[in-house]
Amino acid sequence: MPISAVDLENAIRAAMPVTHLEIEDTSNGCGENYSVFVVSQAFEGKNTLARHRFINEVLKNEIAQMHAFSQKTLTPAQWEAQIAKQTS
Amino acid sequence: MSAAPGNFHEVQSPEHFQALLSEDLNRVSLINFWAPWAEPCKQMNEVVLELAKKYPQILVLQVEAETQSDISESFEVEAVPTFVILRGHTLLGRISGADAPALTEAIAIHVRGPSSINPQSHTDRAPAAAPASAPAESPEELNERLRKLMNQDKVVLFMKGSPDQPRCGFSRRIVDLLRSQGVEFSTFDILSDESVRQGLKVLNNWPTFPQLIINGEFVGGLDVVKEMVDNGELKELLA
Repeated sequence: MPISAVDLENAIRAAMPVTHLEIEDTSNGCGENYSVFVVSQAFEGKNTLARHRFINEVLKNEIAQMHAFSQKTLTPAQWEAQIAKQTS
Repeated sequence: MSAAPGNFHEVQSPEHFQALLSEDLNRVSLINFWAPWAEPCKQMNEVVLELAKKYPQILVLQVEAETQSDISESFEVEAVPTFVILRGHTLLGRISGADAPALTEAIAIHVRGPSSINPQSHTDRAPAAAPASAPAESPEELNERLRKLMNQDKVVLFMKGSPDQPRCGFSRRIVDLLRSQGVEFSTFDILSDESVRQGLKVLNNWPTFPQLIINGEFVGGLDVVKEMVDNGELKELLA
């Protein structure tokens, strides 16, 4: 059965504090390819690989049922900085 | 005549004939060379149809001998009915004339497979070992080999295909990304070596490819590397 964006959101929110979350079904509604963007305090102090491994672990069961999965991770501080740069 | 099952075909041309035979070179086929003017063929055609129903695993080809003269000639069919039994393209047997019991028995024997045929000789020797592409490796030997591969250069990319001919979108994108960042790297095509492919997934605890290695250490896949370009981590690692 395909994974829904709600499933992913619930799993992520249950595992870490979420400042900002975007989930996109990149398989045109088929529920097979997802791209997630997560901003969380939980990423503070973790390098990129560690953050990605963390998400992979949290969404292990869901990812196993997908064809493709991509992610982008930021700490709240990094996200604020990104927004500031974009709006300046 | 009752409805024909899916494995029964009336051959329309030599190309049609070849195409059907080539679908499965392990499959037994029965070719029935017949003619509408030959009375014995009428009965044998019914027998053939029954055999097709009874043995769905065989291919049954009905060839009208005179209209399909190319095919008849290639099998040297001089009279109808003639039955030719093949496995793939190999001749297993041939029956001339309307001999229903002989045909039925022949099909039954060949369908059972070569193992039911009494061998003419026995041997206890194991078959010759296949030419080894690589001798059997212990996990330690494999990991040793993986570490050597990971250290063959400062930056090593394990990908599907080669940088100029990537075999997957993610591999292609990471190659483009590294090149755009001016990073020099060597590559290894994990499609060419299944033990490396599976071994790296375990060693690096990462389920997918591409995998980027810097200074002998696993750094990440496409997403991770993309982020590291954005946040400056990659530059730091390569400094």
